[in-house]
Amino acid sequence: MGPVAEITFRTLWVCGSALVLALLAGVPIGIVLGTRRFFSRALVISSVNAGMGAPPVVVGLLGAILLARSGPFGEWNLLYTPWAMVLTSTAIALPLVIGLTLAAVGSLDEEWELQVRTLGIGRGWRLWLLVREIRMGLLAAVIAALGGILSEVGAVNMVGGNIAGETRVLTTAIMMHTSMGEFEIALDLASVLVGLMLSIALGLTWLQLSGRAR
Amino acid sequence: MSENEVARPVALSARDLRCVRGRGRDRFELEVDHLDLNAGEVLVLLGPNGAGKSTLLRALAGLDRSAAPGAIRNGKGPVTLVFQRPTALSGSVSGNVGAALLGKGVAKAERQTRIHAALTRFDIEALADHDARTLSGGELRRLALARAFVLAPSVLLLDEPFDDLDAEGQRLLSLDLAEAIAETKVAVAMVTHDLRRALLLADRIAVLADGRLVQHGARDDVLLHPDTPEIANIVGMINVAHGRVVRRAADTSWIEIDEGFEVPTAAPLAPGTRAWVGIRPEHLKLDVGRGDGQPIGKAEVESLVSDGLAAVVTLRVRDRRFTTHLLSGRGLARRLRRGDRVSLAVHPDQVHARAVDA
Repeated sequence: MGPVAEITFRTLWVCGSALVLALLAGVPIGIVLGTRRFFSRALVISSVNAGMGAPPVVVGLLGAILLARSGPFGEWNLLYTPWAMVLTSTAIALPLVIGLTLAAVGSLDEEWELQVRTLGIGRGWRLWLLVREIRMGLLAAVIAALGGILSEVGAVNMVGGNIAGETRVLTTAIMMHTSMGEFEIALDLASVLVGLMLSIALGLTWLQLSGRAR
Repeated sequence: MSENEVARPVALSARDLRCVRGRGRDRFELEVDHLDLNAGEVLVLLGPNGAGKSTLLRALAGLDRSAAPGAIRNGKGPVTLVFQRPTALSGSVSGNVGAALLGKGVAKAERQTRIHAALTRFDIEALADHDARTLSGGELRRLALARAFVLAPSVLLLDEPFDDLDAEGQRLLSLDLAEAIAETKVAVAMVTHDLRRALLLADRIAVLADGRLVQHGARDDVLLHPDTPEIANIVGMINVAHGRVVRRAADTSWIEIDEGFEVPTAAPLAPGTRAWVGIRPEHLKLDVGRGDGQPIGKAEVESLVSDGLAAVVTLRVRDRRFTTHLLSGRGLARRLRRGDRVSLAVHPDQVHARAVDA
């Protein structure tokens, strides 16, 4: 496998893993925030909104501090590994997923849950119906989260270190080759990155449009 | 209970039901000591805005978390509520109806049969494959009812089922609903502002005011014998006046409302008693010399408004206004003009009167 293919697969692996983790955590949190009323809910929502606009480089810095050998999670030895990049990317995507899931739940009729409950539908099926009902909003969350992770460079560079064969991904490689004046290689890698983003965006948009038509 | 009435099993009962909504100045409390919904019977909940009708429906549906556990006891079968603004789930109309059966262990063949029966019952089988989110308001209401009936509920709670429907839509839906209730023997509690439509379906009436059940009984008992002038107004007995019993003779008490303006009632009230009088508009007659009731005096026609079916005539007697209903476009309703002087008459047994507590 050539270096470009290797970097591309690693990029997909890191982004895919971070996206799955962000969805697994973010969608349930978004649903709970959207459907339940509890003390300090407004504070949590404010934090999520702030997180959606948080600079990724700050997230990277926090990740580096937490995962550094002297940090609280230093004994896990994750810094400068792909897992550190996955965790940081997840932290970047998580507020986006929560926020957009919350918005999707909020766009439903205020009495939606009560109306479904009064049909005697069990909790599991109600959740299934809810996810089905907000699927377009969830798709928007996937697109936004993926865009955020795939285009991120500063944070993953800080926690990954851009180590050849280990933590180098498309964005960090482009940055490195550009700083070294190797514009041709940087341009090739950028084409791959843009191609990836376009393919994913096209696929998700097709899903979104066909979902709306149904 | 009359001899012709059959005891119906209680499908749902509320005992010492207390619900609290909001806080501070917005705090609202609902208190119902005792309310039963009987199988095959329609209970109509009437009351002014903010009386707690919808809160009561939600509590009966088990959706109010402030209600004490055990306050609502239902017999066998599901209890379901059709909201004032029903929501369509994404997907087809039949999918929406089928969603009510999710997770209930209904076999596929039976599921299809029940969905088809529910759609047919509410005349929307032709829309089965349509996107439910494209339905009109009337179709959506029918979908919500089909979704409720597919559950074969033992109790059906309806919040303003005729809201936003045109007159023909209301008529057709009330006919389908009446047929469905009669066939399934479901116990129904219904909130509506449309008194006329409610009376077509009601077996019993419960009147709510300020979160309390102020009167509750058989339809005609409540309609013809409201406990207070406020309840009289709510149940459509809009001709209300206060006066004093001036004489009693031959099972009739005469209540003087104004000097020289007396109304006869069959209510047994002793002379000197202060009382209020209520007359339903349909029971206030315009005396045209046919001896229909006892004449009570002259009135001036102040206005006459017709909706094509009924003419609502407002009459003025000195400073008081009375209302009567006539059939539009027929007889007197065609001849009457504003400013005409007419004679009023009533049957004493159609004049409701109650002593006013000291």
